[in-house]
Amino acid sequence: MISLNGLTKRYGDRPAVDGLTLELRPGTVTGFLGPNGAGKTTTMRLILGLDRPSSGTALIGGVPYHRIRNPLRTVGALLDARALHPGRSGHAHLVALARSNGVPRRRVTEVLETVGMAGAARKRAGALSLGMSQRLGIAAALLGDPQVLMFDEPVNGLDPDGVRWVRGLMRSLAAEGRTVFVSSHLMSEMQLTADHLVVIGKGRLIADAPLADVIAGSSLTSVLVRTPHAGDLAVRLRAAGITVDRYGENELEATGAALETVGDLAYEAGIRLHELRAKEASLEQAYQELTAGSVEYGAGA
Amino acid sequence: MSTLWQAVLAEWAKLWSVRSTWWCLAFAPVLMVVTALTLGGASATDALRDGRTGVRVAASEPVVSSTSFVQFVLVALAMLVITSEYSSGSIRVTLQATPVRGAMLAGKALVVGPVMFGVGVLSGAVATGLVFAVLSGDLFGGLVVLPIGEVVADLLGVGVFAALVSVMTLGVGAAMRSAAGTLTVVFMLLMGLPLMLLMTGSQVALDVSMRMPMFAGLAFMGSTDNLTGGPIPYSAGEGLAWLLAWTAAALAAGYAVLRRRDA
Repeated sequence: MISLNGLTKRYGDRPAVDGLTLELRPGTVTGFLGPNGAGKTTTMRLILGLDRPSSGTALIGGVPYHRIRNPLRTVGALLDARALHPGRSGHAHLVALARSNGVPRRRVTEVLETVGMAGAARKRAGALSLGMSQRLGIAAALLGDPQVLMFDEPVNGLDPDGVRWVRGLMRSLAAEGRTVFVSSHLMSEMQLTADHLVVIGKGRLIADAPLADVIAGSSLTSVLVRTPHAGDLAVRLRAAGITVDRYGENELEATGAALETVGDLAYEAGIRLHELRAKEASLEQAYQELTAGSVEYGAGA
Repeated sequence: MSTLWQAVLAEWAKLWSVRSTWWCLAFAPVLMVVTALTLGGASATDALRDGRTGVRVAASEPVVSSTSFVQFVLVALAMLVITSEYSSGSIRVTLQATPVRGAMLAGKALVVGPVMFGVGVLSGAVATGLVFAVLSGDLFGGLVVLPIGEVVADLLGVGVFAALVSVMTLGVGAAMRSAAGTLTVVFMLLMGLPLMLLMTGSQVALDVSMRMPMFAGLAFMGSTDNLTGGPIPYSAGEGLAWLLAWTAAALAAGYAVLRRRDA
């Protein structure tokens, strides 16, 4: 649905987004990760036609954003929850947006109920808490019932209940077959929400892979074995080209091999195992490795 | 519904949903009444003192003169329509909804223009009525009269002037983006520069000054006084043409910036 092709944005000669090429698929939550200043927000602004790319294209359903008629009915986006006229009520804000895109007025009431702020909708936007502003921004994104949704740091300022609610919302939007593109700094949150990850650093694509692959590719994802013959097994594993990071009297940890491979090798060698289990890296660990300059998940992965 | 019409509906809803609109619109007729009464009272007493008993002053005449001051209330409102979007960041939401820059700007212009026309005509009518009620009495020599045809023409002129000055401000606002920058440029265009040029006393400066929105507007609204004792050297129609040209130039500048710069 969204395809970026060599998307580049330079400010002077400093590239903010540098040759991004990727596709966002419907039916998945794609997490968008990268350090501060990596170009996440700029990428979203380019997709929405707010900024003009220096080169390359960002297309939605094959056309640039500004060519879409009634774009809020195709793409809903929340970039900055505070970007509201402080004197206008949330309700009035949504009514104006609905009119601009021919969205029936009843949708305003519907989305306000969806985000749970029907009670605060008549308050001036300037008097809303950050969490309430986020909910209003999400309501605006949902207003046109769009197939594509983009959220820049949507859980900023939300309490734990709100965070859980956003997670559920993202999952259900994707389950309805929509394309969901969401940036966040909260890795633990992303690990629970995203199916697919796009990681960028200094404007360049570092990884574009399913969440499971990113985690499996981390050096911190390993196989833990408890066995009375740890020394023998370590020798066998090393002979098979598997890295054994450490071993004690009756346990060892191996990386770079699947659980099954380790188990099979032990079986062939007649080594008794008392425990065999996978230790998964957290997304946070995998992310830190990636952004520290790992090339394991290059653009082609 | 067309994109443009939808943009107009959205801007209409936005305009009336903030308090600053109501403040400006409430203040405009008040300021116009006060200014018109002052100006009208002054010209009536001047005429009386000079013994010019044959003079007749249409009640709408001081109202026309008062636009030189009242216009800045409308400028403030027209400016906020665009600069508040940049100061709050909501321009990015607006452009998400209406990504075609021209449609966004035209939507605002098509709301601001007619609303200001209405504000100009209505405030002018109220002020004209009060000027007549207060100044037509014997105390002021019965000089102030209410010739319906002339008054209607004056009021329509005030409305058109209010609309054009406001749309001009909108264009400048789209080009400048900040309230301070917009106000500076608009004030210089509407008042600062024409008066400074007048004061230089050179003929070229005078000619340029006469073609700026201030005197173009006064000429269009039927005033002939160039503030230095001489006449504005062209017709009301030409005044309108100059006003339209300034407005078009400001809108073009705003549109060019909108197209070129990132939001």
